[in-house]
Amino acid sequence: MDRTSQSCRSRLPDNTALKQQRLPAYRLQLSATKVLSGFFATGAFCLGMGIVLILSAKSIKEIEINYTNICANCAELRENAINFDKECTCSIPFYLPDTMQGNVYMYYKLYGFHQNLYRYILSRSNSQLMGRDVKDVGNCDSFRKTHNGTPICPCGAIANSIFNDTIILSYNLTSSVRIKVPMLSNGITWWTDKFIKFQNPNSNNLPSAFAGTAKPPHWSKPVYELDEEDSGNSGFINEDFIVWMRTAAFPTFKKLHRRLNRIQYFTEGLPAGNYSFNITYNFPVTRFQGEKSVVLSTLTWSGGSSLFLGLAYTVTGAMTWLASFSMMAIHLMRKEKKMFFPSCQVKL
Amino acid sequence: MTVPKEMPEKWARAGAPPSWSRKKPSWGTEEERRARANDREYNEKFQYASNCIKTSKYNILTFLPVNLFEQFQEVANTYFLFLLILQLIPQISSLSWFTTIVPLVLVLTITAVKDATDDYFRHKSDNQVNNRQSQVLINGILQQEQWMNVCVGDIIKLENNQFVAADLLLLSSSEPHGLCYIETAELDGETNMKVRQAIPVTSELGDISQLAKFDGEVICEPPNNKLDKFSGTLYWKENKFPLSNQNMLLRGCVLRNTEWCFGLVIFAGPDTKLMQNSGRTKFKRTSIDRLMNTLVLWIFGFLVCMGVILAIGNAIWEHEVGMRFQVYLPWDEAVDSAFFSGFLSFWSYIIILNTVVPISLYVSVEVIRLGHSYFINWDKKMFCMKKRTPAEARTTTLNEELGQVEYIFSDKTGTLTQNIMVFSKCSINGRSYGDVFDVLEHRAELGELPQRPEPVDFSFNPLADKKFLFWDPTLLEAVKMGDPYIHEFFRLLSLCHTVMSEEKNEGELYYKAQSPDEGALVTAARNFGFVFRSRTPKTITVHEMGTAITYQLLAILDFNNIRKRMSVIVRNPEGKIRLYCKGADTILLDRLHHSTHELLNATIDHLNEYSGEGLRTLVLAYKDLDEEYYEEWADRRLQASLARDSWEDRLASVYEEIESDMMLLGATAIEDKLQQGVPETIALLTLANIKIWVLTGDKQETAVNIGYSCKMLTDDMSEVFVVTGHTVLEVREELRKAREKMMDPSRSVGNGFAYHEKTSVLEAVAGEYALVINGHSLAHALEADMELEFLETACACKAVICCRVTPLQKAQVVELVKKYKKAVTLAIGDGANDVSMIKTAHIGVGISGQEGIQAVLASDYSFSQFKFLQRLLLVHGRWSYLRMCKFLCYFFYKNFAFTMVHFWFGFFCGFSAQTVYDQYFITLYNIVYTSLPVLAMGVFDQDVPEQRSMEYPKLYEPGQLNLLFNKREFFICIAQGIYTSVLMFFIPYGVFAEATRDDGTQLADYQSFAVTVATSLVIVVSVQIGLDTGYWTAINHFFIWGSLAVYFAILFAMHSNGLFDMFPNQFRFVGNAQNTLAQPAVWLTIALTTVICIMPVVAFRFLKLNLKPDLSDTVRYTQLVRKKQKAQHRCMRRVGRTGSRRSGYAFSHQEGFGELIMSGKNMRLSSLALSSFTTRSSSSWIESLRRKKSDSASSPSGGADKPLKG
Repeated sequence: MDRTSQSCRSRLPDNTALKQQRLPAYRLQLSATKVLSGFFATGAFCLGMGIVLILSAKSIKEIEINYTNICANCAELRENAINFDKECTCSIPFYLPDTMQGNVYMYYKLYGFHQNLYRYILSRSNSQLMGRDVKDVGNCDSFRKTHNGTPICPCGAIANSIFNDTIILSYNLTSSVRIKVPMLSNGITWWTDKFIKFQNPNSNNLPSAFAGTAKPPHWSKPVYELDEEDSGNSGFINEDFIVWMRTAAFPTFKKLHRRLNRIQYFTEGLPAGNYSFNITYNFPVTRFQGEKSVVLSTLTWSGGSSLFLGLAYTVTGAMTWLASFSMMAIHLMRKEKKMFFPSCQVKL
Repeated sequence: MTVPKEMPEKWARAGAPPSWSRKKPSWGTEEERRARANDREYNEKFQYASNCIKTSKYNILTFLPVNLFEQFQEVANTYFLFLLILQLIPQISSLSWFTTIVPLVLVLTITAVKDATDDYFRHKSDNQVNNRQSQVLINGILQQEQWMNVCVGDIIKLENNQFVAADLLLLSSSEPHGLCYIETAELDGETNMKVRQAIPVTSELGDISQLAKFDGEVICEPPNNKLDKFSGTLYWKENKFPLSNQNMLLRGCVLRNTEWCFGLVIFAGPDTKLMQNSGRTKFKRTSIDRLMNTLVLWIFGFLVCMGVILAIGNAIWEHEVGMRFQVYLPWDEAVDSAFFSGFLSFWSYIIILNTVVPISLYVSVEVIRLGHSYFINWDKKMFCMKKRTPAEARTTTLNEELGQVEYIFSDKTGTLTQNIMVFSKCSINGRSYGDVFDVLEHRAELGELPQRPEPVDFSFNPLADKKFLFWDPTLLEAVKMGDPYIHEFFRLLSLCHTVMSEEKNEGELYYKAQSPDEGALVTAARNFGFVFRSRTPKTITVHEMGTAITYQLLAILDFNNIRKRMSVIVRNPEGKIRLYCKGADTILLDRLHHSTHELLNATIDHLNEYSGEGLRTLVLAYKDLDEEYYEEWADRRLQASLARDSWEDRLASVYEEIESDMMLLGATAIEDKLQQGVPETIALLTLANIKIWVLTGDKQETAVNIGYSCKMLTDDMSEVFVVTGHTVLEVREELRKAREKMMDPSRSVGNGFAYHEKTSVLEAVAGEYALVINGHSLAHALEADMELEFLETACACKAVICCRVTPLQKAQVVELVKKYKKAVTLAIGDGANDVSMIKTAHIGVGISGQEGIQAVLASDYSFSQFKFLQRLLLVHGRWSYLRMCKFLCYFFYKNFAFTMVHFWFGFFCGFSAQTVYDQYFITLYNIVYTSLPVLAMGVFDQDVPEQRSMEYPKLYEPGQLNLLFNKREFFICIAQGIYTSVLMFFIPYGVFAEATRDDGTQLADYQSFAVTVATSLVIVVSVQIGLDTGYWTAINHFFIWGSLAVYFAILFAMHSNGLFDMFPNQFRFVGNAQNTLAQPAVWLTIALTTVICIMPVVAFRFLKLNLKPDLSDTVRYTQLVRKKQKAQHRCMRRVGRTGSRRSGYAFSHQEGFGELIMSGKNMRLSSLALSSFTTRSSSSWIESLRRKKSDSASSPSGGADKPLKG
């Protein structure tokens, strides 16, 4: 064709490293030294980590009391929704053999309560909960409005199903003197939850801010009465509420309920001795074959009393070392045989 | 002259063909074609296709709907659309709609842009062809018109070297008798010239005014794809004239040696034989594509299984637990039973789990292929400096298949050879002259070696052809010394041929040779001082060393396939009559006078030497005749030619008689110049276990010669089988014999059915064999009942050469191998005759830079030198395959690892179709977080440097055996993915179940879990891609680290307060990233997951490297060790083997011009006037030529073709 020589010359591909596939590069090669030293190092790290983790988990003091069956009568009462306004309490005495040093945390733990169901997780209105519009019941599905059309506040299945047992821990100072262990109900949420995700509507007076809304059907009191003593803990920013609203990943979960206020007798933690839980039993679990318990625990940096992480690390470390030894043996055996390839193949 | 409009009626009465009664051609299928010259109005009635060709698919308006329609024909795209619709149903949508629509729109857009660009280039090339200029006779004036405006019935004028614009009926030409020479390279690949002649009545229409009045009407067959057939009738002046292919100029031909000609357009544009032959472009899919589609189907099946399992789980769960949990979470209004809930959950899970086959798979594959195509386009080492053409990947979807080729089907002329004949050696009177090119000089030709000896200086001869090069000065010296033998030798060359000369200006000689061989010989003689100057039917004028001598030409004993020789009988000025003969050695050496015995032996030695070098040899001899004998012989010849029956045989025996007891003069050796590097390329490809078949329209001898010179055939081969049978039985028998010989003789039983006992001939073959098969035998061999036999035999041979094959047969051979061999085939060719083959093969390669572009247009890849094939396959193809396989493995792995987590989570979330991850993570995982690193690997990865893949052609084998990505590899990837997903879910689960954060609050909330799993997933797949990437360029670094960085950046952005403030319901994970990722336990979990996921992979690879290394591993290792001691790898040596004697009397594809010359038909009037001779009636020579041709076509060569081995 009639192309000018100028354009012909331009057809010559550029001699750049990219276009000629000659980019400088590091060729990854699994050399024996690299692989084996990597394996040994990883093994060492895992073993070390495992031991540290196991020790750390072992240092935790923890006590868990399952009160589903202990408070069976209450559970039975709660099976029937008609008895919703009947109060039922039960007391669970227990003995703490060792002092629980340092910060002590009280959790409630639910078994078989599915906070991770797809529709359950969705069933909330974040714009309502951040106080922008208390009547915005967006995704709340079956708990959006009452029969007469008043928007529910807070709406949704999560809020409606809030854990509403009251758990009071008392310490038997002597056989006759019982004192209530001082517990803090604040500082049990993330800062972002308390100050960003959950906000009360702008108003000096909480009840008026929530005017025109109804309480969720399972609730005994409206949201602005959640904490009548502390207005900073009432409404949407009630920490128990916030904790509940942060849905759990698995059907068995424990949520932080209270933390020990280290004053008076409890500056060092929970001293050994006789204690009892006084539980106002409101939250029905037996209906869906769930269980609930209350947990007291100290704390460690690695999080919890579970040995899982530590054991997993230890096993991994051991396996890695085992693997590296066998790999080394195989490599040394094979080294005898030369891995050369016959040279020039192309002969014409 | 009659009024044109009345004519049809008149003809109808005159008894026109029966189809005539139908006034209109039926619109669907044209039954006959009528075209009247110079009458556009009349021709318009029939609505024939215009000469505008259109290969493009869209225009601006239709692009969007048509393209979308096409894209949704892709199963994958429709599937994703279906998913999108599913997601819009609130009851089952478990993901937001944007998780599917964002990738889908992205994919559709990218594909659309690509299609648009492709189509743009098609438009451009169409326009370029359509806008070529041609001269059309309109209203009596020649006007410049674009090709697309040429209509059926127009008369157009063509000039020398122009492409024929449409299928034309030749009306008249500048040459006498309406002769016209054309080159049909574009159509059938033959570059020799062919003659076409106008029918006598029109050949006189020389000037425009006459032509403008011409109003003949042609009635002919409808458009078809038969290149060599045409039947029609011209009705003009109340007469009928039959028309045949001999009168047609087909689109794609080039006018040669004819100043101008006029033609009547019969077929235009898409109706032309060229376009009819090109057929529809089949959409080619690679085997990886097909495998991928199968796998995707399997995955869908798997997906449905998982959906069913989870749906059943859901139904059970809802029945057992969910029903009682309704206090807290009532069922949807639509849901009335656990069963129905299970049904809904099935669809929900289909939506969630669809990411096992993400849309980005298809688009990523396309992007990678596009990248590879660019690498081919950019490759400097595949750029031909001489022709200034770069390699071009015209199809971007086939690259990885280049790494799996097992069979190459190659055209010969223009592909393996340059179709340039070079007079390179000669043996005169027992002495050999001339120096052949060797490997070194090949390079010297490029001007790289300045110390190369100068070519012989022919300046003494003003008539010498400047382009002729000869490297042995001793021959010229001998000529100058006046050696009589050498003079006689060149005299013979200058006399004994059918070349025409043309002298436009004094001393500017042009030879019109019918075959390039002859041209080369006459040109050689010209340069050595024996210049063939001109001829008349009765004389030949030669300038011998500067003096003009006119010989009287008494007879030309023309060439044909059986005789394999030609002679001339001339009377020199002294009055002596001498016969000069040149011909194939096998024939000629038997007809020599016994006194030449000694000379004969020396010459035979030389012939052996020449043919060992792959040169085409001819033996030259002469014979003195005395006057009486000649007179008597001429008389008998006349008698023979006048004989009514079997005149041909009689003539042959008369010729035979005089061509005996000749005196040997010597031999010539012509190099059919191979393209550069052809033998090396073929050797390398053979080492890479690629079988090369040559399919050529050429004669058998030529093809075999080339086979030898390009080292496809070697003398080390046990045997070269030649199949030339004319009947089914013969062919079958020949094939059977070949198979028998190939099998171990001790095992094969004497009876003919021995091969039936073996499952495959392939396994039994001992030694190297080659098969040469002729076109007519091939026709039988390709019949349904014999094709398997043929294939089996052919595949057992190391080299296969099919000669004299038609374009259709080429395609059939390719189709045969495709059908039964399950192997990837590649066809390479340069001419329009290769188009069908190129389109049939899995991969078609066109040689560009030649004049024809048909092959290139039909091809998937094009470049200008055969030798680039090795780079295309061994480097680009191999890498593409490797990269694509690695890409696919990783891609399936990462998506299974990603998706299967949902499956495990299903068991913990009441099978409620809750996803593990944030929906944004699901949307972005495939298109942002993990796409670029794997793309970079897919585009840039290299296992061994490119030089190594040339050095160790065995590295190509994994591709042929499909080792790197097959169903087994796929399952391994899937298994690895599932393994990863198990760890990815259960390790965080184990940790989270009991753990608390370091401030005592709950750790195991859903959002923290989601972030932890997502983060460890991104880290694990990033480490994995790091391991898979064998070639870490800066780009890989950038992408891998960049992806990780982008992940964290997006994570923190999505979880930021600001976004939550704006869209509280969309960004629910506020504060999650900073709270979760600040936990040591989370990081310990991520680290543990990574270690457990990666370590086994590393260990496995390390062990494989040690215990069962791949070839590429070994090469890499060797490379590492050898880094210092640079070995000399390039070891090319010239094989100076004396080969078997092969004659190369291959100078015509068809009968020579002998008769034409003697009849004086093609002489200009001026020269005709000089000579007075009687001639046969005007049409008889054509008649006899045609008769001979059809005879030789039906019964060619016969036994003479057979013995190739001496």
